[in-house]
Amino acid sequence: MAAEGPVAAEERAAGEEPEAAVRIRSLWKRFGEQIAVAGIDLTLPAGRFIGLVGPNGAGKTTTLSMITGLLRPDQGTVEVVGRDVWSDPADVKSRIGVLPEGLRMFERLSGRELLTYTGRLRGLPTAEVDKRAAQLLDVLGLSGSQHKLVVDYSTGMRKKIGLACALLHNPEVLFLDEPFEGVDPVSAQTIRKVLERYTASGATVVFSSHVMELVESLCDWVAVLAAGRIRAQGPLDEVRGDAPSLQAAFLELVGVRGDDAETSLDWLGGGTR
Amino acid sequence: MSAPAPSGTTPAGDVGGPVGGAATPLTPVMVALKLSLLRNGLRQSAKRRAVYLASVVVVLLFAVLQLAGLVALRGSAHATTIGVLLVAVLALGWAVLPLFFPSGDETLDPTRLVMLPLHPRPLVRALLAASLVGIGPLFTLCLVVGSAIALAHGAAAAAVAVPAVLLALLVCVALARAVAAANIRLLTSRRGRDLAVLSGLIIAVGIQVVNFSAQKLGTAGLGKLDPLADVVRWIPPASALGAVDSIGDGAYLSGAVQLALTLVALVVLLYLWQNSITRLMTSPDGSTLDASGGGRQRAGRGVGLARLLPEGRLGAAMERTLRYVWRDPKTKAAWVTSLTIGLIVPVFNALQNSGSVYFACFASGMLGIQMYNQFGQDGSAFWIVATTVSAPREALLELRGRAQALILITVPYATLVTLVTTALVGGWNRLPEVLGLSYGLLGALLATGAWSSARFPYSIPREGYKNVAPGQSGLAGISIVGGMAASALLCSPLLGATLWLHLSGAGDWGWVLLPLGALYGTAATVVGLRLAAPCMARRLPEILTAVTVG
Repeated sequence: MAAEGPVAAEERAAGEEPEAAVRIRSLWKRFGEQIAVAGIDLTLPAGRFIGLVGPNGAGKTTTLSMITGLLRPDQGTVEVVGRDVWSDPADVKSRIGVLPEGLRMFERLSGRELLTYTGRLRGLPTAEVDKRAAQLLDVLGLSGSQHKLVVDYSTGMRKKIGLACALLHNPEVLFLDEPFEGVDPVSAQTIRKVLERYTASGATVVFSSHVMELVESLCDWVAVLAAGRIRAQGPLDEVRGDAPSLQAAFLELVGVRGDDAETSLDWLGGGTR
Repeated sequence: MSAPAPSGTTPAGDVGGPVGGAATPLTPVMVALKLSLLRNGLRQSAKRRAVYLASVVVVLLFAVLQLAGLVALRGSAHATTIGVLLVAVLALGWAVLPLFFPSGDETLDPTRLVMLPLHPRPLVRALLAASLVGIGPLFTLCLVVGSAIALAHGAAAAAVAVPAVLLALLVCVALARAVAAANIRLLTSRRGRDLAVLSGLIIAVGIQVVNFSAQKLGTAGLGKLDPLADVVRWIPPASALGAVDSIGDGAYLSGAVQLALTLVALVVLLYLWQNSITRLMTSPDGSTLDASGGGRQRAGRGVGLARLLPEGRLGAAMERTLRYVWRDPKTKAAWVTSLTIGLIVPVFNALQNSGSVYFACFASGMLGIQMYNQFGQDGSAFWIVATTVSAPREALLELRGRAQALILITVPYATLVTLVTTALVGGWNRLPEVLGLSYGLLGALLATGAWSSARFPYSIPREGYKNVAPGQSGLAGISIVGGMAASALLCSPLLGATLWLHLSGAGDWGWVLLPLGALYGTAATVVGLRLAAPCMARRLPEILTAVTVG
């Protein structure tokens, strides 16, 4: 298992600077009294399928928002593909795709209109946007509902149209916040296939999740976040270590044991009332 | 209260009672539930309690005054007409209100009871009893009693009045429930919620219509309504009052038929309501249904619209802004309000012969306000804009697109309103200068609106009637009041020029203000957008945080 410091230090020492998709140094964010992100140092390698895992409230969304330029950090620097997000946003924004969680899209547009709109905001030529939009809608199984308003979409459809918007300009790094939350198995499989094809071409995917089985089956590199700090980062096997599963390793890292429900609910059993 | 409300009975006692008995214990449970919900709702906050008590007092006062008025009407030639029509209008209100205020009463939402082992017939009975508790039924009872007193002449009529009043009240309440239950699919769907946002506007327009008709009646006399009342007295629940009147006149057969009609209406409504409830409790709710049927037609229109607009970000921002005017309920409500007020104020003033051509500037003023808090209108969807803006150049295109979409509607509309107002008031020689002032004002509002959108953004809650999220009203105040003051200041050279022309006796030169105002407005917009763009580009994360609240 790799602790936070050594891996980053090693990589820096080995002169692997250009290999990093994301490089974060002493990143802090406070909301009033609460410290959401408490000095994160993190280096995410390029060309990997990276999972950012942690319990609810660990600071995953805050961290991703600061990486993608949606939330200004109190302190610290973020580099994506070698460019500073906060001093050189123009270059970074055209190279990344984002699917935030909890933020709405322009829901009174139809799926097709939303894609066209996003493509035009990104400065893509209209013909190219049309071609890419049609293919994305087709691959994601949204062709049948492309003229329906996004406000009427189900959760799975929303995530898929959000993913299509994030992929439209062919970004180098894709950031997804809980892309599988509330998504049915069929849609999840579709999203998965698209993401796997995307990383196979050398692009980087960074996604957050609290579902360990999913991260274990998808990612080859993970960072564990708890209470605003990085608890571990590195290739999946290293972080998992000797534990039987990522879930077990994670619970151990976060410091939780699951045996305290044994005695208190002894009446629960479905037999007598 | 009108309800047979044994508030002392505890629900627990009833549930434990004899289940096999004909008298179902469900009714007191539902009534008690309604009372508890009412009580708990009021317990939540002192403000809510105060508002509720105030509304009770106002409604009671109104009801008592109406009652007194109706009693005083007794013996008047138009008593029948007024009494019958009043009940008909009440019934109409009961039929329409649940469509606009669907969330008023939780006990009436049968989907909340779906897990309980209840039979439809006792359930409907219990729900009917529960829905008699409240201010609405009390108000209705007062008016129906008043109408009955105004109509009833003789002992027979007075005897019939008692069941007639009860029947009329029950029909009103059952009508509301039957309509609500039949439309619950609509009400729980997205389209229904969209409708609710527009309801305030519809009511405001409705009040205008009522006001207008009342004025007409005041001049034409109540006799005009007699033929209408002759028909309405056969339509339930007004037919119950018709029965009282008929029996008072000695027409016993007519009276019996009218009373029977009311009873039949009640039975039919209860039957329909029961059917709707049974169907609702065994079928999926609105949220799981495919709400959009007409999506296909939209595609063609969008393509046509897009073809006329510029390429790239500018066109994309314009297109989305224009689509949102029609499709987003909050934006639509704001636009419809602005368009209506922008027309009503100058035109009504002109119609009352007290108007001035200068009132026509109201149109561009009301529409120019739409430029304020642009990003609050986007809500958290602003992240899509934020992730694609990385330099002031893109911010400028975004702001320009939004401003141009606004101009596309506002300039023709303001011109039209000015033309109409001038036609009504007269004085065509002043048309050019009013137009010039309108365009100048619009430019000033667009400029200050763009800047304050970037500097003082605030969140507009998606649901409900509020237009400012809690805690941001100060920000909204600064944004709008400050912006208006700044716009007025920006317009002062134009106003000064107008005044100077008139005071110096050079009124014939008023036409100069048309090109001057148009130029001034354009220049103000261009400068305002250019100043706002760097501010927007710099503050993207702050704007996103501000508009994501609530």
